[in-house]
Amino acid sequence: MEGRINQSRRDFLKVAAVAAGVSAVSFVAVSRDELKKLLVPVRVEDLIAEAAEAGSPLERRAQEREAKLKQWCQAEAEKICSSMGEDSEACKEARKRCAMIKVKATGPREGVRFAMALDVNKCIGCRRCAYACVMENNQARNLGIEWIKVLEIPREEMEIVYANMHYTDAPKPNMVYVPVACMHCEDPPCTMVCPVKATWKEPDGIVVVDYDRCIGCRYCITACPYGARRFNWAKPYVPVTELNPNMHILGNVPRQIHVVEKCTWCIQRTRDGGVPACVEVCPVGARVFGDLHDPSSPIRRVIEEYGAFVLKPEAGTRPRFFYFFGPKRTPPREPGTERETGH
Amino acid sequence: MTADGSFLDTIKFIVREALLNGGRRYYLALIGLLIVALYGMYLWIFVQHAPIFLGKEEGGLILTDLSDSVPWGIYIAFFVFWVGVAAAGIVFGIAAYVFGDKEFKKVAVLGEVQAVAAIITVLLLITVDIGRPFRAMILMPQLPNLRSMLDWDFIVLTGYLTLNLIGMLVTVHYYRQDKPLPKKFIVPFITIAAPFAIGIHTVTAFISQALTARPIWNSPLLAPRYVATAFASGPAILLLALYLAERYMKGFKVDFSVYKKTLYVIVGSLVVGLYFTLSEVHEIFWYTTEPMKKAQAQVLFLGYHLPYLAKMMWLWIGLGIAAVILGILPRVHNSKKGIILVSVITIVAVVAEKTMTIIIPAFVPGTLGEVHPYYPTALEIGITAGVHAIGILIYLLLARPALKAVMTHYFKGSGAHH
Repeated sequence: MEGRINQSRRDFLKVAAVAAGVSAVSFVAVSRDELKKLLVPVRVEDLIAEAAEAGSPLERRAQEREAKLKQWCQAEAEKICSSMGEDSEACKEARKRCAMIKVKATGPREGVRFAMALDVNKCIGCRRCAYACVMENNQARNLGIEWIKVLEIPREEMEIVYANMHYTDAPKPNMVYVPVACMHCEDPPCTMVCPVKATWKEPDGIVVVDYDRCIGCRYCITACPYGARRFNWAKPYVPVTELNPNMHILGNVPRQIHVVEKCTWCIQRTRDGGVPACVEVCPVGARVFGDLHDPSSPIRRVIEEYGAFVLKPEAGTRPRFFYFFGPKRTPPREPGTERETGH
Repeated sequence: MTADGSFLDTIKFIVREALLNGGRRYYLALIGLLIVALYGMYLWIFVQHAPIFLGKEEGGLILTDLSDSVPWGIYIAFFVFWVGVAAAGIVFGIAAYVFGDKEFKKVAVLGEVQAVAAIITVLLLITVDIGRPFRAMILMPQLPNLRSMLDWDFIVLTGYLTLNLIGMLVTVHYYRQDKPLPKKFIVPFITIAAPFAIGIHTVTAFISQALTARPIWNSPLLAPRYVATAFASGPAILLLALYLAERYMKGFKVDFSVYKKTLYVIVGSLVVGLYFTLSEVHEIFWYTTEPMKKAQAQVLFLGYHLPYLAKMMWLWIGLGIAAVILGILPRVHNSKKGIILVSVITIVAVVAEKTMTIIIPAFVPGTLGEVHPYYPTALEIGITAGVHAIGILIYLLLARPALKAVMTHYFKGSGAHH
């Protein structure tokens, strides 16, 4: 009996060794592409954002959120109305916005890859995009969160170490203004590091955060080379009179405390065929937005016409936010001013 | 009690020895630590306050000095340090069961106790740092996302914690009954635990090492540097604990060779750690293609924007060299007092090296060149102290029963419990 058990144990070990060897060899022998196909991690969009299907978990959550938001908004509006009078401007505004609240869960469209480009020659550093973004995306008014940061960088050396984002007057002739927000990278490091898969890249290239899953470890802030992510260090506050009622569950629904948020290229607008608020508001038309896969889109035209570059290409994230030097500058460069005010 | 006893009896023995069998001084220490721990916990609830417990709208991590520019601060800094201390807990085990040193077998269990206490400290530090701890508790087992180093870290840390708890329990179980540890247990245990110990600290380094966003962490030397200095500070704390145990536990004696051999490990690790620092300094200040890395190194070594970082860094270099020189002087390393002195210097040096100086410079200047200085607030320091009090409490509670069991086996008839 003892001998037979030992024999079978030995046989088992032999078979296991052979199997391990064969699998190792076949693992190496498979072509690189095959291997890549095999080693693709779980597709998060399969797991979470089946938003296109009706009655998906995301859609259900959006409906729940909408009901809750309406409740909260009406309570806030009551407060305003009782303190400022029923026919005050603020009361009417609040009531109107509460009635309009709609939380969507629109899914990505097939075959779309959004991209944005910015003409560094045109940008005057007025920061209107940052303000429009705050209003559009219901960013906390009490925490100073802005998704778009505008860097002032010396024209002769576009190096981020010399950037200044706290400038007071613009434009200066020897400076360029580089607005930076989420780059919606092809290989976003932030989504890779998230321990709970609370952030991922949608098929149309928008990197989103699920505020109901985020645990607030801030690893994604640490991983982002563009400083694009913001953390709600306290409970965010948005006055109902300024609430944007057009919301997306993964975009601009009012955030909770201790979650990370970021630019979503106004997912609530672009998924319905619009353009982001920053593009719309830009007074000099420096921003271009479109579908990278569509040959007739403006983004393709500017890249082909002028050529583009990205910030920090060495980070290997392949951003889909491009910068280019367009045809002319606003305001026109005055001769002789460049050297005098050099940094 | 039956002749061989069950594990339940062992747990009862540990609880009894930990809680019911101490002198006045022991209880005073327990109560003191408990007060600090409770105060820290109170502060933490005060910070987290609103969102989870009371439903109010005040509070939140905004009460700390952390910001989007410096999202990780003193909590994560000490997290790194204690992971190292936990990893080095295995040193005594390796000396005892890999190299078969008889004297180390008597104290190997202390390393396991230290690892347990340090890892609990580590996990608590993470818990106080994250914004939504209760959500994390629910999501962690649901979604092991193996692309994230944080998940790997969680897995190896809890794995190592379990391993050391088992190791400690089995050791106490056998020694309590005056039996040697069975080979069937100790060989696989050391085979798994030793690489695990290196693994926890390596994974902790990998959390930050590969982030392209933070150039000063982008050094392949980070993980080896972590491990090297860990193997200086961990054994130093073990020696300190041994020294205190010898002083305060009647009849507990350790051979001088334990101290001396551990000192070799400490001095060797310090030399390697200092050498790695030198290598990084050379790379950064002689030639680097990354301007941001250079700017961050200037914060670290020259104290631009944050003078305390430079002080800590030079403290590490100065005290590290001092500890090495003292350690190789025969007059110092031939006396117990001298070895304890070297240990204390080493602990201070490694705390200076592996806490704030690792975490903060990566954020100043930030990814977009923004400078946002970070000074830990009194609140954060209080919470950190509270977490450390819990760690020391656990160390104290577990070390006494473990060492008593060791005494039952190795020092028969010298006042040990029987």
